[in-house]
Amino acid sequence: MLRRIFLPSILIVLAYGFWISPDFKEISAGVAIFLFGMISLEEGFKAFSGGTLERILQKSTNKLYKSIGFGFVTTAIMQSSSLVSVLTISFIGAGLIGLTQGIGIILGANIGTTTGAWLMAGFGLKVKISAYAMPMLVFGVILIFQKAKSLKGIGYILTGLGFLFLGIHYMKEGFEAFKNTIDLASFAVDGFKGLMIFIGIGVLATVVMQSSHATIVLILAALAVGQITYENALALTIGANIGTTITAIIGSLSSNIDGKRLAAAHFIFNVVTATIAVLLMDQMIVSVDAISDFLGIANDNHTLKLAVFDSLFKIIGVLMFIPFVDKLVKFLQTKLKPSAVSEAKSFDTVKYLNDSVLETSMTAMAAIKKETKHLYDNAFEIITHGLNIKRSNILSDMPLEEVVKDSYSQSAIDIDDFYHHKIKGIYGEIIDFSTKAQSQMAHEEIEELYKIKLANRDIVEAVKDTEHLQKNLVKYSKSTNTHIKSEYNSMRKDLAELLRTINLIAMSDQEDEILLLLSKAKVHTERYDIIANGKLDNLIRNRLISNEMATSLMNDSGYAYNISANLIAMAEIIYVTDNSEMIIEEEEVKEILNQKDEQ
Amino acid sequence: MSVKKFITDVKNYLGLDDFKKSGKKKSIKRLLEKLKARKEILDKTPRKNLNKKELKALKEEQAIITLQIKKGEKILDELNAESHKDSKKLKGEKNGKK
Repeated sequence: MLRRIFLPSILIVLAYGFWISPDFKEISAGVAIFLFGMISLEEGFKAFSGGTLERILQKSTNKLYKSIGFGFVTTAIMQSSSLVSVLTISFIGAGLIGLTQGIGIILGANIGTTTGAWLMAGFGLKVKISAYAMPMLVFGVILIFQKAKSLKGIGYILTGLGFLFLGIHYMKEGFEAFKNTIDLASFAVDGFKGLMIFIGIGVLATVVMQSSHATIVLILAALAVGQITYENALALTIGANIGTTITAIIGSLSSNIDGKRLAAAHFIFNVVTATIAVLLMDQMIVSVDAISDFLGIANDNHTLKLAVFDSLFKIIGVLMFIPFVDKLVKFLQTKLKPSAVSEAKSFDTVKYLNDSVLETSMTAMAAIKKETKHLYDNAFEIITHGLNIKRSNILSDMPLEEVVKDSYSQSAIDIDDFYHHKIKGIYGEIIDFSTKAQSQMAHEEIEELYKIKLANRDIVEAVKDTEHLQKNLVKYSKSTNTHIKSEYNSMRKDLAELLRTINLIAMSDQEDEILLLLSKAKVHTERYDIIANGKLDNLIRNRLISNEMATSLMNDSGYAYNISANLIAMAEIIYVTDNSEMIIEEEEVKEILNQKDEQ
Repeated sequence: MSVKKFITDVKNYLGLDDFKKSGKKKSIKRLLEKLKARKEILDKTPRKNLNKKELKALKEEQAIITLQIKKGEKILDELNAESHKDSKKLKGEKNGKK
């Protein structure tokens, strides 16, 4: 509703402004070109986000100071805190980094944005930068037309910078010409009232342009030609800093709960910092003067002094917030909780799949992998219940013989109901999301995604086979015929052992251990196959079980074998990250089994 | 010179493909070291104190690790042979140009 009124109103105001003032048109065109430059710059950096940026982000955010450093450096290089924010939300959404690291990056990005003000004040306003813009645009566009992704990326970056410079040029020219017709400085308001009005204007301008960077550049351009007073420019800068959080909040709407928490943290940080800056405005101005003197900045060089103010109030804000980051995380975790609707219906839903992780192929892949692990956790619950085993016993060190004895329930549980509540929806969402994510992936990544989809299918099939297996398992594991009872219980024991092994694999970070456990699981699955090892033949030949029992045992051992094979195949895809070719193959399993027989 | 050829030349000059291969080699070497250390521990385990079940598990683990070491060494040999071939090819091309 608001958007329906807001957008046409802005368009009408702009159209009227263009009609009455060609200078206003020039300034607005400058802002539009600048914003287009930022979009192009972001597009260019995204071309390089197919691995390198993500790897750096993952490795350089394990400590708070590193997260802050990462946020600062990347924002300073890319000149876009919104791209860094979007990537951070995407990483949090995919579960690759935690909220604390995310807040660290946002704090660093806040300081990183100040480099833009320094560049503009120190370089952009003094040099005729439009002269640099033209060759950049020409080279950039030529490179954009190239097929290679990296060349395209460089092309977008050059074009982005070209448009940024051109936008600044038009803003500068526009304000200079504007001064001849209307002196905006005559509208300056002094005192606290002026401070609040201009903070409001700063917020509004940033919300409309969706970029604090553009607002600050606009402020500097106006300040450079004396169209606004220095005091009002300070207030506008504070306003721009609050307005930028609105962009983050809008960006987080499609994210998961941690993305929303991050946007809330960003909002709290910027509003608190702005409040402090307002309360200590006089002291801040004195400090800016002192620092400017120290740096040799002339007293009347208001543009550079604004850059000093921008840096000072953001650095003070970050330093003040660092000791409270953990408390802020706890506060946000208690105040912002996931919606309870899905829990009330007891239908489990996806945890990691949301539009924010579609930002890069790496986060999309990581989120799908994590969701597959979530699907397996649910399948683990269903399979243990189907085997009439307690989950806690499998996760403990309890001997497997005792695990089998300690039954979960006296009667069979409804696996179909569990399947509908905990598997079907998530599985469907993973497949649907994978199709969406695939459109932006490279050939190699699509192959990896295909394997993950297979792993999901393996999980679903294992659950379905458990449902078939359960029918006779409950019946025969209590049978008076000790032979059939023993066979069904050993089937339960073997599957319990496999579930325990997969749990160990999931917990381990040692590659050799994971490979060894998986290989062992493969050998055991073949060894326990009672059709292959001749056990079933022996039971029938010696008439130890009835024909009906034999048929059931034959079918069910097939189901048990399939459950094992599917779960091992899933674990191979999900838990082995490198050197998957080192896992032993079917022929090698037979080789090991033959060695044992010979011994 | 086409863009594709330019990128290939830059990749060759900077040895970017080799970088990928050497990363893989390092990873296999590291894994082999770990597997060999694990095998050494298993080989040194005194068998007298083990019961039948434990002895069976130990032998099984030894057999698996031995097989994995063999597999790893084969992969490493193949990678070494490939990079040897690549460097020979590159040298040949350079000499040809001269």
